[in-house]
Amino acid sequence: MMRVGTELRAITRTVEQADIAAYANAAGDFNPIHLDDEFARSTQFGGTIAHGMMIASMLSELMASEFTRDWLTTGGLKIRFRTPVRPGDTVTAYGSIKGVRGGGLGTRVTCAVGVRNQNDEVAISGNATLIVSNAAVRTGENSGSTK
Amino acid sequence: MPIDYAALAVGDTISDRKILLCSDSVERYVAAVRDESGVFDPSDSSSAVPPMAAAAFSLRGVLDDLGIPRGTLHTAQEMTFLGEVSVGETLSCTASVAQNAVRGAFRFIAVVMDVRGADQSLVMTAKSTIVTPV
Repeated sequence: MMRVGTELRAITRTVEQADIAAYANAAGDFNPIHLDDEFARSTQFGGTIAHGMMIASMLSELMASEFTRDWLTTGGLKIRFRTPVRPGDTVTAYGSIKGVRGGGLGTRVTCAVGVRNQNDEVAISGNATLIVSNAAVRTGENSGSTK
Repeated sequence: MPIDYAALAVGDTISDRKILLCSDSVERYVAAVRDESGVFDPSDSSSAVPPMAAAAFSLRGVLDDLGIPRGTLHTAQEMTFLGEVSVGETLSCTASVAQNAVRGAFRFIAVVMDVRGADQSLVMTAKSTIVTPV
């Protein structure tokens, strides 16, 4: 059953500069704060940082893995980028169900989501919402998995 | 011509682009973020596209049109996915200014995006907040 407090299956990855470069090429975002170490060293970050959208993709992956098509068609994500992710950081995307509300069109599920680094610093925090079909709720599909 | 950011007013349209979700670009994106959700199936020529890929490609066009300066930071993001998008589909992305304010040495610009699918139905709305040095 989909219950408040259920934890979603976390995703952990180590981010290297090569990953950041691959994302820059894939997304077409060549901001030097992500790629040019000399430039990035002159900023408040003291070195390159990962794209926020690259790290945020882990949250969408987390939600899509748990809720499949419902996420693609009814998902919503509201996040803030708090601490930069640097090359070499190991980050974990996590989430838990914090609200379940039934309705005519389906069950609205709200999850607290975030990404933290190896030092437990929060890189991203926010909420994800979606509508899960009532049939899926009844049959136990998309129920959110426990760790 | 460089954009005069101070002249951007709320409601101004800053980008209006078509984005083709070709298989190669989606595959490159999925590989770069190591997405294992299974949403994208490279063997299916009309596979679903991870919504964050569509968001990233849409945002790229907006940032290109804004001509953001070096060192610009992305501080917040909101997205609502309203419909599945597929490989081979051409999206239409329109972006406008939702906020333009200076606080201290930084300018905060919020941009709202409406992304429509091939049938012109709305498939995603988004709001991106970026911070640039003044």
